[in-house]
Amino acid sequence: MSSYNLEIERIIRKIKEKKAKYVLLQLPDGLKPEAEKIVQEIQKNTNAISFIWLGDCFGACDIPLGLQQFQIDLIVQFGHNTFIKEFGW
Amino acid sequence: MELLLIDAVYQGEVKLDNKTLEYLKRYKSIALYAAVQFSSKLENVIKQLEQKGIKVVSSKPARTKEKYQILGCDIYHGNLNLKEDVDAYLHIGDGRFHPLALVLQQRNLKNFKEVVMYDPIAKKMSMLTLKDVEVILKKSKASLKLFLLKKNIGVILTTKPGQQQYLYSLKLKERYPDKEFYYFIDDNINSKNFENFPFIDVWVNTACPRIGLDDAVYVKEPWVNLDEALDAEKRLGEFS
Repeated sequence: MSSYNLEIERIIRKIKEKKAKYVLLQLPDGLKPEAEKIVQEIQKNTNAISFIWLGDCFGACDIPLGLQQFQIDLIVQFGHNTFIKEFGW
Repeated sequence: MELLLIDAVYQGEVKLDNKTLEYLKRYKSIALYAAVQFSSKLENVIKQLEQKGIKVVSSKPARTKEKYQILGCDIYHGNLNLKEDVDAYLHIGDGRFHPLALVLQQRNLKNFKEVVMYDPIAKKMSMLTLKDVEVILKKSKASLKLFLLKKNIGVILTTKPGQQQYLYSLKLKERYPDKEFYYFIDDNINSKNFENFPFIDVWVNTACPRIGLDDAVYVKEPWVNLDEALDAEKRLGEFS
């Protein structure tokens, strides 16, 4: 069991509610080992296909671009919450 | 395409150990912050500190959603939105990236307040001072001096949506009309690519401000953050 609440039930609920077909999971380095379990749970409970972002995940400021070609309809980013972007720093 | 953010809240107990509490007794007031995995689980810590007679304050920094939460980019005192003057800062979490922001946001302040880190997983306390960012600040000062002297400036823009500051970076040309600005775009900023552009004298980072501070130390080329470049003379004067 993870030391962190990965809210897998909430993710599954969201996939079903949105009828998402392709889901991208983006995790910061410390949570990347959890990807195996998350993918398995999504496979077991939904028809969605999961992708895992291989690279960095610095924060909610760092959402991957160019995902249209994979028809991703839901990104699930772990370890961060809403980022309020400002003009300048 | 929808985005779902999962805080990944730590499921263990978040509580200070006796050694940390005893240490913190020397302070009358403390500003408390944590990474999002811990920021919603601070009730016990607040209660423990208050029982020792320590006043606990905090704030919702500019880019965060919740009170007590700190981001690595909160390196400007004004962005913290902390109204009260405190004796020290306490950061709850594992790792140094977030608590170092609490050090960096004090880099231009007259009176430095100690940053105490408590890791509730390892149950370990440690401290941070300006000494921990000395190398960063030295590099920053040297790069700023060169920025003012040199002509060819490489402005680095990222495609990361939350870090993209192209419009803000256009202020550079207004501020320094005699300099030549060359704009570069990348996703992850990799400084090893700098050597391919030898005509650039100084690089300006417009992405995450931690890149232009922490990462700049490992690069031989001068590299400054956008906000510091925009106000270079004043910022140089603030270095001790």
